[in-house]
Amino acid sequence: MNITLWGTRGSIPTPGSQTVRYGGNTICLELRCEPDNRLIIIDAGSGIRPLGGKVMGTDFKKGPIKTQIFFTHTHWDHIMGFPFFTPIYIPSTQMEIYGPVTYEDDPLDKVIGGQLQYRYFPVTSAELAAQITYHRLSETEMDLGDGLKLITKYLNHPIACLGYRFEQGGKSIVTIYDHEPFRNLFITDPTHPDYDRSAAEEGEIAAAEENKKIQNFMKNADVVIHDSQYTQKEYLKNKLGWGHSTYEWAINSAQKAGVKTLVLTHHDPERTDDQLDELEQNYNRLIRGKTPMKVIFAREGMEL
Amino acid sequence: MIKGDDLKKALGDYIDKMPPLPTSVGKIMEICQNPATSPNDLNKVISLDPVLLAKVMKLINSAYYGNTAEITSLVRAIIMLGLNTVKNLAVSTAVLATVGKETHKASILNLEGFWLHSLCVGVTAKLLSRVRKIDPKEQESYFICGLLHDMGKLPLNNKTPESLLAAFQTADQDRIPLFQAEQKALNFTHSEAGSLIMLNWKLGDDILDVALYHHNPLEYRGQHKDLLYTVVLANYFANIMEIGFSGDRHPVKPPPEVFSRLGITWAQVEALDDQVMQEIERAKVFLKIAI
Repeated sequence: MNITLWGTRGSIPTPGSQTVRYGGNTICLELRCEPDNRLIIIDAGSGIRPLGGKVMGTDFKKGPIKTQIFFTHTHWDHIMGFPFFTPIYIPSTQMEIYGPVTYEDDPLDKVIGGQLQYRYFPVTSAELAAQITYHRLSETEMDLGDGLKLITKYLNHPIACLGYRFEQGGKSIVTIYDHEPFRNLFITDPTHPDYDRSAAEEGEIAAAEENKKIQNFMKNADVVIHDSQYTQKEYLKNKLGWGHSTYEWAINSAQKAGVKTLVLTHHDPERTDDQLDELEQNYNRLIRGKTPMKVIFAREGMEL
Repeated sequence: MIKGDDLKKALGDYIDKMPPLPTSVGKIMEICQNPATSPNDLNKVISLDPVLLAKVMKLINSAYYGNTAEITSLVRAIIMLGLNTVKNLAVSTAVLATVGKETHKASILNLEGFWLHSLCVGVTAKLLSRVRKIDPKEQESYFICGLLHDMGKLPLNNKTPESLLAAFQTADQDRIPLFQAEQKALNFTHSEAGSLIMLNWKLGDDILDVALYHHNPLEYRGQHKDLLYTVVLANYFANIMEIGFSGDRHPVKPPPEVFSRLGITWAQVEALDDQVMQEIERAKVFLKIAI
């Protein structure tokens, strides 16, 4: 299995001279598996547009495009590129789309395909030439054929969001985004008038256990691509509950899980190339000699 | 008036559409529509309504986990899914149920008295579990099992009130516990009705066992004896102390085996009186109701 990162930015695309090295496209990942370079795409941020260009140049030359797109969740930065993915306009394309839908929300085809309405875009879903089928996903294990196995796990984010673990031929690749570490949301100050001792105690245990489950989900993975939008300092200052992880958390929990290569992604829109360079160097300096795990900051175009 | 298998069938159809108790719907709407609601408030308001609690848990499990009852605690659900998700689920459950509510014929059971009795049993069961130093992680189960033990009375009251009335009348005339009167008059009990609900809502088998056996605990052969026996004690306490009313004017004192297995004396149960009343008062103030 090989991956190429087509978008490593979170929240909103960030073109400009300050973001050229790490890239400004929002999240999109290309996964190639056996046999014959089978194509799987994870998320359709703005980075899926150039991926579409590549796919037309390589896969389409060999025949109709067949692919599966797995959405981690339906926040805009992970779906915005979909109308610009050229294969959806090609009649012979066969596409299966998978993703979680938050309860009570519209079904997946409305949420993703719903971007293709006249008020937003000049082509409607009904006018697409490709054959597209939508599949709602929850926590599950799937046999994708060709010895490729998929396991999904709910992450911690304001809407239903799935982590994906792909395994084939003894190799495993895991995505953990978008994700914020679980924490005890209940009041823990005994002097507070609303303090409920059993809720506080149970909350503490629940948060620890759920975090452990995520750690286990990453266990011994060859590559983990992990949400890391903030430093611990930024997070504690005013980003609690925003749905994202810190570099420190991602590094610590991946290390405990025995991950071989950790790729830190979902860069904050405000983060410049120089800042990311500095962060990468600093964190690598801090962990030098303490772990066999490789820690890399995700860059657009990176191949692993 | 219907009884036996006909009664069972009529109730089965009704169970799916059961509305939450009127006491808490107002507070639930207020809490859930307030963006500043804390997890503590949300946990409290849902937990205090047995029907809403059961429905929200069922919804959480089916919406996210298919048929396996993965999440059995509301606290954990709030941690795993976040405050807003659970709030939305609670609102839609409460609203849908209220909108779909039929106008009932006269209610035989006083619903507020029923709520108070259910809450008392939940609170007492949990306090007893603390006295016995049960693992804090499991104390919530004691509360939930106590809160939901008499759920079977609701469909009987709302769907087939004539049958419930017949049972009440038999209990009064023969001065026997309601459970026995139900068996005599209807060949069907609220325990069985409760188990139908628990099966339909796919709640844990601990909650089901307690609902089914809380009037005949010595016949129980399952794994949740401590839980069952604790709720039996708590139920007797609530009935004797006349905290709320769930239709039992002649409660049966639990057999000695219940006390001996739990290692609890009746004096210890009675000693919880003040704490139980405090918890109940707090709940009443919280829900802004006057009973």
